[in-house]
Amino acid sequence: MTATATVSTPAVTAAPPPRKRIWSYWRFYLALSPFYLLFAVFGLYPMVSTIVLAFQRWDGLSARRFTGLGNFAFLVKDPTFWQSLENTVVLFFMSTVPTLVLALVLAVMLQSAVRFTNVYRIAYFIPNVTSLVAMAIFFSSIFSTNFGLVNAALRSLGIPQQDWLGEPWGIKIAISTMIVWQWVGYNTLIYLAGLQAIPKEQYEAAKVDGAGAARTFFSITLPQLRPVVLFTVIMSTIGGLQTFTEPQVMVGNSGGTGQSGMTVVLFFYRAAFLDNDYGYAAAIALSIFALVLLFTAINWRIFRGRGEDR
Amino acid sequence: MELSRRTLLGGFAAIASGVAGSALAGCSSGMNNAGTTAKKNTATELTMWCWPGGLGKSVLTDTIAHFPDPKIKYSEIGGDFKQKLITTFNGGTSIPDITGLKGEDIASLLPQAQRFVDLKTLGADSILGDYLQWKVNQATTLDGKVIGLPIDVGPTALFYREDIFAAGGLPSDPAKVAEQLKTWDDFFAAGVQLKAKNPKALLVWDATDLYDMVVGQGTERYISKDNKFIGDQDHIRKAWDTSVKAMTLKIDGKTPSGGPDWNAGLDQGTVPAHIGAAWVASDIKSAVKTSVGKWRLAPTPSGPANFGGSFLAITKNAADPQKAFDVIKYMLSPDNEAKAFADAQIFPSAPAAYDKPQLTAADKFFGGQVPISVFGPAAKAIPVAYQSPYDDAVAAPFHDELKTVQTGAKTSDAAWSSAVSKAKAIAKRQGVQ
Repeated sequence: MTATATVSTPAVTAAPPPRKRIWSYWRFYLALSPFYLLFAVFGLYPMVSTIVLAFQRWDGLSARRFTGLGNFAFLVKDPTFWQSLENTVVLFFMSTVPTLVLALVLAVMLQSAVRFTNVYRIAYFIPNVTSLVAMAIFFSSIFSTNFGLVNAALRSLGIPQQDWLGEPWGIKIAISTMIVWQWVGYNTLIYLAGLQAIPKEQYEAAKVDGAGAARTFFSITLPQLRPVVLFTVIMSTIGGLQTFTEPQVMVGNSGGTGQSGMTVVLFFYRAAFLDNDYGYAAAIALSIFALVLLFTAINWRIFRGRGEDR
Repeated sequence: MELSRRTLLGGFAAIASGVAGSALAGCSSGMNNAGTTAKKNTATELTMWCWPGGLGKSVLTDTIAHFPDPKIKYSEIGGDFKQKLITTFNGGTSIPDITGLKGEDIASLLPQAQRFVDLKTLGADSILGDYLQWKVNQATTLDGKVIGLPIDVGPTALFYREDIFAAGGLPSDPAKVAEQLKTWDDFFAAGVQLKAKNPKALLVWDATDLYDMVVGQGTERYISKDNKFIGDQDHIRKAWDTSVKAMTLKIDGKTPSGGPDWNAGLDQGTVPAHIGAAWVASDIKSAVKTSVGKWRLAPTPSGPANFGGSFLAITKNAADPQKAFDVIKYMLSPDNEAKAFADAQIFPSAPAAYDKPQLTAADKFFGGQVPISVFGPAAKAIPVAYQSPYDDAVAAPFHDELKTVQTGAKTSDAAWSSAVSKAKAIAKRQGVQ
């Protein structure tokens, strides 16, 4: 009895039937399954079908035709695509840099404010939860040529009025102003959370050493905030490269004068839902994906910091 | 209590296979469904889709009451109507028996004629003559199938401020305006004259909008009936040059319609005129407060064009196409079209409606003028132009480039050649020669 037992036991542990092992965790798999099922239906299937569609011609109703790399070949030769790419990157810089700088300044100010802190926090966050379309309509009124608020202010200062939504650069300024307005509050709150996580002792030590406000900011606050900054930069990248509603409502589906408000996502929308060229739109969607990936990788490299562990 | 492993696994497998099955079903219908495989609707209900404001309210309630069996189930579909219709066609279920089709979408749906019932097979021949011929042609395929019965049309006219015209030394009476502003050149000359007296009043609200009007006055557009690109030819160049002329004469207000500047300018007199379809009347009416009664209507210089105007179509999924046809025939009778006009300014597509009291009433907003006296003759005189399914996509570069001329970023010739080469590339991609 003992002999057989000692023989059979190692055999079981050495070569367990793999099926049984996996199935013995069924409860855990079951608990995890809702996410994966939903992901398969609403995430994976659309993604895979987008990739398949990028190699086909489809007008939405007729049968699909396989065209190989035809959509991509047209994409790289399409001047509108390159224009929209350039616009998107320019808009991204024009909106993200002021947003993050302003947010950081506001966060430091909020950190040191003593009264009504919560009121300010709510006030700064409100633009982020306001309907984007309502805001875009509001901003297009502010920037309108003859009866807009911005031009009224310029006139009262004796500066000639500008055709904000008619000039290529004016369109970009109007759109990025709106993005800044919407996202400053959100990033301020993220920075504020990061600021509150910095140990007080470091500031006290700096004070004892006689560091001024600027020195404290650049030597303690900013380095300690690095991971938070990385997070906000990546989130802004993903959001900024997908700018759509602002130009669509402010200057329309054409992207405005000289297509200077035409972002890649707006271009994608136009190809899919106005021109009914779904295969081409899928190819554009993949290029947006590649673009976001590229920019995130660049940001990661810049803000990850040197000398840190991977 | 613990569930048995077998039941749980069984349930799990059932859910999984159900999800996978439906995903695959969705996939296959998206991939292969060319319109004939989708199942028929049930005969217990007659479903009907249209967009908000697409049909007159009183006409709708009356029609629903008039056809109790099967009961009409009307759904108002907001948002991008065409997109939702296409998605539903691809899904293969819940396709409406009757659906509205917008005028701007009809050209791209004609190649999908197999999804709709040819109204001629239901006896439409007897009533098609009641509607404007050019409008019926828009819903007719090249091989003669008629897929939609016209709901409304959008004939254009010149809307203008009588007081501003009079103060600027221009004729202000509609008859005199019609007589003097016959062509675009007359119109521009009047614009220059008005600007000299009143520098703030620019007669052309937006030159790039004007371009579309001029294209719409022609008998050809960007792509010919035999599928050749003709956007680089004289008729388009003429429209282009007309628009550029308004810019160079500096009578271009650069105020796109519908924007805040346009709304405010109508009342303040900086937008003293607008050329637009009949439905623009309601936009102007809702935009202005103080200039009520000062607006007048005159024929479009150089002839009318059409903007907008929609159709009712019967899908192949309809359980009882004949019944559905009876419904749309009733709904779009000249009497009911006149009612729809009184309901929501839906301009009738049947000329017989133009004599009904709802249309011949004088409009206080237009100083007692009868709008139909301008729109009626315009609707009958609209030129017929073949519109290709790819017309909109090909037209886009022309609009984009014209805007660069408007802001002075490019010369007219440079913008033109860039527009033509972009349009050619788009046309070529769509299989146009």
